[in-house]
Amino acid sequence: MEQYDKIIIGAGLYGLYSACVCGQRREKVLVLECDPTPFRRATYINQARVHQGYHYPRSISTAMKSAGYFERFNRDYDFCINREFDKIYATSARYSWSDGEQFRRFCKAAGIPCEELHPERFFKPGMCDGAFLTREYTYDAMLLKDYFLEKINALKDVKILYGAAIRSIEARNDVYAICMEDGKEYRAGFILNAAYAGINQILDLAGFEKFRIKYELCEIILCDAGEKLKQYGFTVMDGPFFSIMPFGKTGLHSLTSVTFTPHMTCYQETPAFPCQGKGGGACSAFRLGNCNDCSERPETAFPYMANLAVKYLRDEFTFAYRRSLFSVKPILMSSEIDDSRPTVIRTYSKDPTFIAVLSGKINTVYDLDEVL
Amino acid sequence: MENKEKNFVSAVIYVHNAEHRIASFLGMVIAVLEGHFEHSEIICVNDGSEDDSVGVIKREAGRADASVSISVVNMSGFHGLESAMNAGMDLAIGDFVFEFDRTAPDFDPEEIMRVYDRALQGYDIVNAAPDKKEKFTSRLFYRVFDLFSDVSCKMHTESFRILSRRMINRTASMNRTVPYRKAVYASAGLKADTVMYSPTGRGGEGLDRRERGYRSMLAVDSLILFTQLGYRFAVAMTMLMMLVSVFMIVYSVVIFAAAHPVEGWTTTILFLSVAFLGMFGILTVIIKYLQLLVNLVFRRMPYSFESVEKLTK
Repeated sequence: MEQYDKIIIGAGLYGLYSACVCGQRREKVLVLECDPTPFRRATYINQARVHQGYHYPRSISTAMKSAGYFERFNRDYDFCINREFDKIYATSARYSWSDGEQFRRFCKAAGIPCEELHPERFFKPGMCDGAFLTREYTYDAMLLKDYFLEKINALKDVKILYGAAIRSIEARNDVYAICMEDGKEYRAGFILNAAYAGINQILDLAGFEKFRIKYELCEIILCDAGEKLKQYGFTVMDGPFFSIMPFGKTGLHSLTSVTFTPHMTCYQETPAFPCQGKGGGACSAFRLGNCNDCSERPETAFPYMANLAVKYLRDEFTFAYRRSLFSVKPILMSSEIDDSRPTVIRTYSKDPTFIAVLSGKINTVYDLDEVL
Repeated sequence: MENKEKNFVSAVIYVHNAEHRIASFLGMVIAVLEGHFEHSEIICVNDGSEDDSVGVIKREAGRADASVSISVVNMSGFHGLESAMNAGMDLAIGDFVFEFDRTAPDFDPEEIMRVYDRALQGYDIVNAAPDKKEKFTSRLFYRVFDLFSDVSCKMHTESFRILSRRMINRTASMNRTVPYRKAVYASAGLKADTVMYSPTGRGGEGLDRRERGYRSMLAVDSLILFTQLGYRFAVAMTMLMMLVSVFMIVYSVVIFAAAHPVEGWTTTILFLSVAFLGMFGILTVIIKYLQLLVNLVFRRMPYSFESVEKLTK
């Protein structure tokens, strides 16, 4: 039995950030991660946006919150931020829930910079009714990982346990006892559940009320961008459209689309997918494996996403398929209508403390400061 | 094994109260696309169906393999064929897009590929029309349309067609709205062709009352918007009436001189004739203005071209 001040479940950004904050206070921290290294799922496998709110033209609260943290994140993690491109947001002329004028007003209300450009500079005639030069960057998850690992290595009271398989979580007087499949037991008076897609699995083990979420098995496509496209990131709003933008500092572009990025959707409490039985691995609704490392990952939807992008973008913006990344993404059911992505922090118990955090954005990680 | 086509095709299918027909129709389209294309999508536009069409589509879609992406656009209420198909076309992402206006197939599944192959030979739009006698009303409509429009393109009653992306972009930039697709396609000025097929007789339109009403309205609107019919009729009528007015002026003067009519008759008739002459003159001007306005509002591009050829340096 090992005793800690805090146990953090999940070595994504939220987990490692918390470990660093607490470790610097000389607390004894254990991070439990089921993968062999950190940042192997959502922190790495997403569009790598450092949000300033542009993405949420129907949820000004989400927009303002991300705008508030934008500067701070870019300052704190400057080394992993890619600023070397022009980020263009455009509103589709058809099927968009917001038009160019509404987007402009939204940016003004949220206090985020946006300069109107001529849509036909980038898009085929008639496809977009507004194009805006915005200020949005992308981060490089691998550089961020190296930074956090270096910091954590310097803190001798912080330990990360990889390949961790949790069997049970129980409250015993003033501590939580986490029993592992290998028989080891860890105790702490403070548990932080930062398992993202696995959040309900952990809540299930601890016997707490679960988040109302749906799960999407998502594909992020990495592309080699042609010369003209290299210096741009494009996002077409606000409906069944696409984004193609630099993927951190990797030199590649990520391509995603609202309709084709999710391959499968699951509405159960814990992530159950039909592919889970076939992988041969230990993936199940109660212990989600890593889709990106799985042999049963879906076939790429590149032809579909590419055709969608080609339909909009002018012909000089070319790109070619490199590879795909897959991961499961949880989406709060309450945010279906306004498409908001709130950071939800729930405290389930005090002394011993059990907290769960669910967020779809990287730069709202600072919200955790209140509870750590 | 046959090599599948690399081109990405979309199929847009119009669905209105078609729960009895849609399953077999969709099944056929899925089979053709799966069999011949590496990647494709099907968009079913549900135009305010009151039956279980969407339920049937969902069940049928479950059987498709991963190479066909199937989606449904649910229109908010009945919009009619043209708007609904436009909505579907706006969503389609294919290099080539099939438009299925009807879900009652009277053609062999092979016809779909015949039309596609024809498009590959350099036609931006290829129609598939049944090789049978058209309904009287349809024939009348197309005759009148042909007579009064400046587009020289024979139109038929068509079952489905294929459009190239170039064609779709062209129509999108030509008109602000597309009230009648066929006319817009015909006036787009790109290469078009029609493939005739012998109907298998399974067809049968199966239009409900709402659709029939919509179609007659559409016919009138199209004739007004796309042909010179309204304008020519109005001009002819005003000319005729102006002539009658002039005749009346002359007539009243002659009667005044020769036959000594009742007092006041000549002034009344003279006044009326001059007033009508002026009225019709004003009407002609107004109609001309209206026609110009329709063109300004409705058409975006002043002209359309088929291609540009460079002959010498």
